[in-house]
Amino acid sequence: MILEIVKCEGKRPLAPRESHYTREFWSKLSTGEFTSTRCQVCRKLMFPPRQHCPMCWSKKTDWVSLSGKGKLYARTTVHAGPLMFQQHIPYSVGIIDLDEGVRLIASIIDGDEKIQNDEEVQLIVLAYDDGPLFAVRKIESD
Amino acid sequence: MNRQAVILDYAARPVGRLMPRPGEAIEEFEQDILCDLIIQTANNSGVAREDIGSLNLTSPTPATQQLGFATFLASRLGLRCDARISDINNMGITGGLAFDQACEDVSSGKTDFALACGIEFSTGAPAEMIMDRGIRVVGDVDFQSPFGLTPIAWYAFDANRYMHETGASRNDIAQIAVKNRAHAALNPLAQYRKPMTLEEVCAQRPIVEPLGLFEVSPVGDGAICLMVSSEENARSLNKPYVRVRGRGFQHDGHHQIGNHYHDMLAFPAASHTGNVALTMAGVKIDDINLAELYAPCTITELLVSEALGLAEKGKGYMAVLDGEYSLGGRLPISTSGGCLSRGHPPGLTGLYGLAELYDQLTAQAGERQVRDATLALHICEGGNYNLALAHVLESMQ
Ligand SMILES: [Zn+2]
Repeated sequence: MILEIVKCEGKRPLAPRESHYTREFWSKLSTGEFTSTRCQVCRKLMFPPRQHCPMCWSKKTDWVSLSGKGKLYARTTVHAGPLMFQQHIPYSVGIIDLDEGVRLIASIIDGDEKIQNDEEVQLIVLAYDDGPLFAVRKIESD
Repeated sequence: MNRQAVILDYAARPVGRLMPRPGEAIEEFEQDILCDLIIQTANNSGVAREDIGSLNLTSPTPATQQLGFATFLASRLGLRCDARISDINNMGITGGLAFDQACEDVSSGKTDFALACGIEFSTGAPAEMIMDRGIRVVGDVDFQSPFGLTPIAWYAFDANRYMHETGASRNDIAQIAVKNRAHAALNPLAQYRKPMTLEEVCAQRPIVEPLGLFEVSPVGDGAICLMVSSEENARSLNKPYVRVRGRGFQHDGHHQIGNHYHDMLAFPAASHTGNVALTMAGVKIDDINLAELYAPCTITELLVSEALGLAEKGKGYMAVLDGEYSLGGRLPISTSGGCLSRGHPPGLTGLYGLAELYDQLTAQAGERQVRDATLALHICEGGNYNLALAHVLESMQ
């Protein structure tokens, strides 16, 4: 499943760091693939991707590709934010439950109508000049 | 050894502005304010300097120039503690942990007298700068902070989800801010004391939707010191005191959210912690006369009250509307005015909450006195109530 890639002007307000390990996630993301890690021992699927399984402490993990489809669990729009986010205010952020069972945080790109809780959403890639981030938008019915 | 720990006394500055603005003349250094309060607490308690064996300080805020503050303070006061000196910092649970450790040092017999204290200077620092730090505390710096979630944005998620699941309106939840302001009007330590209406609350600019300016905590400085001792020592000092009758602690294993689906509104750590503290005290939630709940936003107070079993899940807002948690109601909550109006220097909020219960349980709360208050519950938290620490306190006049 290849995610839609949306070009964004400028740099990310706060760029995530990349370790030797998490570089895999960000480089795949920039090509439109959303990945995370699954424990080889207890099969726990994690997000964010981790070197250590939180359930069994195994360090044997596999990278897996996720659909990027899920539901919005909760949302907020931030009107008072940190210094580096000033030019983006107000911005919307959501808690997303992906179909594969993991919960994560992502920006929300609303269309004409605000996305409501429990509505189906789709992850997209925000391609900034200095690297990718991810967001959700409503699933278009086609 | 397992002795009964008690709160002997406290001294505090009202929450508000203590910190000079940039370029403004400095009236008092942090260390001077805190030295004053510690000496005042010891004098009021009738405790001699040499008998204090444990100093539990909440970490000062980043704006504080003096580092190594805990031992620096001990040297300023000639304290030669032989139980412990510690500098404590763990999100919003910080003040509660400082108190908890003071109790532990007394009940284990390491010392007869222990201090839990701290000072926070925040008002002179730009809010955006505080938030730059805040987003790294409450989010994974590489996978969550890049989306700009401030600490209160997480509570906004709670409010948004609560409204979605229960049908409660923003007004229903905002009523908590009105209630707490009415309480704060009667509290000399409170930062905001002018009564306000629901219309005023809901007319404020949005901060983190659906919450507006008066539904989230203001920035405030604070300074406070509590004295903890064993009950036998308290008796010999011949003054009213408050017993620490029950204690509970839990971390629910999440940092704001887990990496799987879970009910974000359930606050399981608060629920568990409250039950453990009540069980240890040998009482039920219905026996409690009042509660101080660490709640930086309106919604937080609502969710903790439900998690503690004061109202059915999803119906707590109705109890607020019915006045059950107001002074004079079934179980007054946040008689101090809470984070929203008493004020919220995060690391000290736990200590201010305990101080309020001390006032109430020793019948020194003046106009906001809860009649016949004998048992009270305090709970504080970190994250989205992922960490919770509860104490049941009992009046011993
Ligand atoms: Zn595992």
